[in-house]
Amino acid sequence: MTAVAAEAGRAQNARRISMSMGYEWSLALFEVLGIVVLSMTTAGAFLRVTNLRALLVDIATIALPGAGMTLVIASAGIDVSIGSLLGLVAVVAGMLFEHNVPVIVVLGVAAVVGGLGGVVNGTLITKLRLPPIIVTLGMLSIWRSMVFALLGGNWISSIPLSLTSLTVLDGLGFLPYSFVFAIAVVLLFSYISRKRHIGRVIYAIGSNNEAARVSGLPVQRAIMFAYCSLGVLTAIAAMMTLGQSTLVQANTGSGFELSVIAAVVVGGTSILGGTGSVMGSVLGAVLVELVQDAVVLYRVQPFWQGVVLGGIILVAVSVGLAKKSQR
Amino acid sequence: MMRGIRFPYASSRQTYWEMASRYGVLVAILLAVVVGSSILTPEVLQPSNLAGMSVFGVEVGLMAFGETLVILGGGGGIDLSVGAMYALSQTVLGAMFQAHYGVWTASVGALVMGSILGATNGFFICVLGIPAILVTLATLFAYDGLALVVANGVNISGFPPTFGVIGQSSIAGVPFQLLVIYIPVAVFLWYASTRAAYGYRLRLCGTNEVAARLAGINVRGVRFWAYVAAGLLSGVAGVIGTSRLLTARPDAGATANIEAITIAVLGGTAIFGGEGSISGTALATLVIALLGYSFGLANINSIIETGSVGGILIVAIWGQTALSSYSQRHRAGANALEASDRA
Repeated sequence: MTAVAAEAGRAQNARRISMSMGYEWSLALFEVLGIVVLSMTTAGAFLRVTNLRALLVDIATIALPGAGMTLVIASAGIDVSIGSLLGLVAVVAGMLFEHNVPVIVVLGVAAVVGGLGGVVNGTLITKLRLPPIIVTLGMLSIWRSMVFALLGGNWISSIPLSLTSLTVLDGLGFLPYSFVFAIAVVLLFSYISRKRHIGRVIYAIGSNNEAARVSGLPVQRAIMFAYCSLGVLTAIAAMMTLGQSTLVQANTGSGFELSVIAAVVVGGTSILGGTGSVMGSVLGAVLVELVQDAVVLYRVQPFWQGVVLGGIILVAVSVGLAKKSQR
Repeated sequence: MMRGIRFPYASSRQTYWEMASRYGVLVAILLAVVVGSSILTPEVLQPSNLAGMSVFGVEVGLMAFGETLVILGGGGGIDLSVGAMYALSQTVLGAMFQAHYGVWTASVGALVMGSILGATNGFFICVLGIPAILVTLATLFAYDGLALVVANGVNISGFPPTFGVIGQSSIAGVPFQLLVIYIPVAVFLWYASTRAAYGYRLRLCGTNEVAARLAGINVRGVRFWAYVAAGLLSGVAGVIGTSRLLTARPDAGATANIEAITIAVLGGTAIFGGEGSISGTALATLVIALLGYSFGLANINSIIETGSVGGILIVAIWGQTALSSYSQRHRAGANALEASDRA
């Protein structure tokens, strides 16, 4: 009897896996199609090396925090504060660069600042048991006002060329270092989320928080890990952003959270938690950046970017729901 | 008759803790803000400034009412897009005015637009069943983008001075929008949420969705109308805002969503639905308006003000969570005591 049940469970699991694989394959196919269309309709502008390399750095900038955001959303949480955190890291890094601190030290400090940002969210969510959306909404405005206070109405533009070289210009052949680094990190997080204990705990929390708690799983540690790694990855994304556009303003990074959440959600992660893969989020990041690149290449008014991103989220989730109700 | 309906666990001893958990944080923060702002800018509490402050609070206060209704309905209900609906309905007003519609027709257009935007949120959330956080986060950016598209990225001005009657005039020293719009809306919503059948249905959806469904309530429909109300109220706020400055601004309301949510939570609306009141929201609006107005008088940048609002949001939700878990423990203790008394 139990053998039959186990068999049925396995079959169901296999079907579920093949379903999610099916979604990822069709997403990838859709993207290849998009790339073909973009290459054919933009008179070579899309295929120019500078555009492709910039696109790869952009994808890395979204995919890195996307890996952390996948864990956060898989734990049935959300973090809307990362745009402001990115701004805060950029300001701190910019101020260090103004004092000629070497790039490697700044990278370290940035990672610490980002990690601390994640620790604040994680502490409020785990120790005080506050709802993630409210906590991160509050931190969004708090980090933003710290950015403003640190900048004091000015802006910072003394970002050294060495950072731009490191993140954007140099690389392994055609691939920028940012992209290579992002691939490595994404593979690591994909491994953690599927094979390591802490990754599985995160998914268990997302499926059923109470069950995970009473089973004695390290709930608080796992949630803290998710928010903390998201913070660190956001900090690295901030350095990549600085490498691309060497200007820090009061609004640096605002709206960044939407791109990352869009990537994760388009990648097939349910906002309700318990499901989702890091690799899917990478595909989501590719789609988000392809669309943003298309907006630029087709010379659409930049105002449409938010509309398009919001639309992508709604369409992707509606499609996902339709598929689920078929099953 | 309806007045007699109470939740089954309510007894005088326990409602004391409920009251404390609902309003304790509000009172504490109200005191802190009053003391803080009178130190920061002693002139803020003069009567003439109170009128100016209420002008400041009416628009965000209306959006906070919408937020309260949405959160009351439960099921993870939240609306992050109220500020964007405020901006988009403003620019629709402006665009219609530029297209030579009368300014009053354009105002009606803005209200219709607000309702449509709210209904769009409601459609995705209640009909398709997509979580509200995700839908309203997406529409926040979509509506903000559309506002820029409609207005072509610039402020729209050139409204006739007569249009300023909504946002600039006052009756017997009381601002027009407070007396003629905010207070009647507040009274109506207070009635609708506490005395009318809709309010009971909304609360029941927030308290116990399954029970509501078993009682024959159309849960999705009830929640849908809360989102429409949030859109309409944002549209009303948009008309007032346009009239107040005689300018339709596509970037208006960028901080309104966090302010509206903070006001709702601070006013005692339980974030998971079912509990909350229009009067609490109105009182919390006063706190945030006082904060914003005294920061303005002291010439502190609005980004810092929004940061403080974010801090208040976290403190308020913390107070709500901590006090309600304390009151639950207290209630459990009281129940155990009663049980042992009976035994």
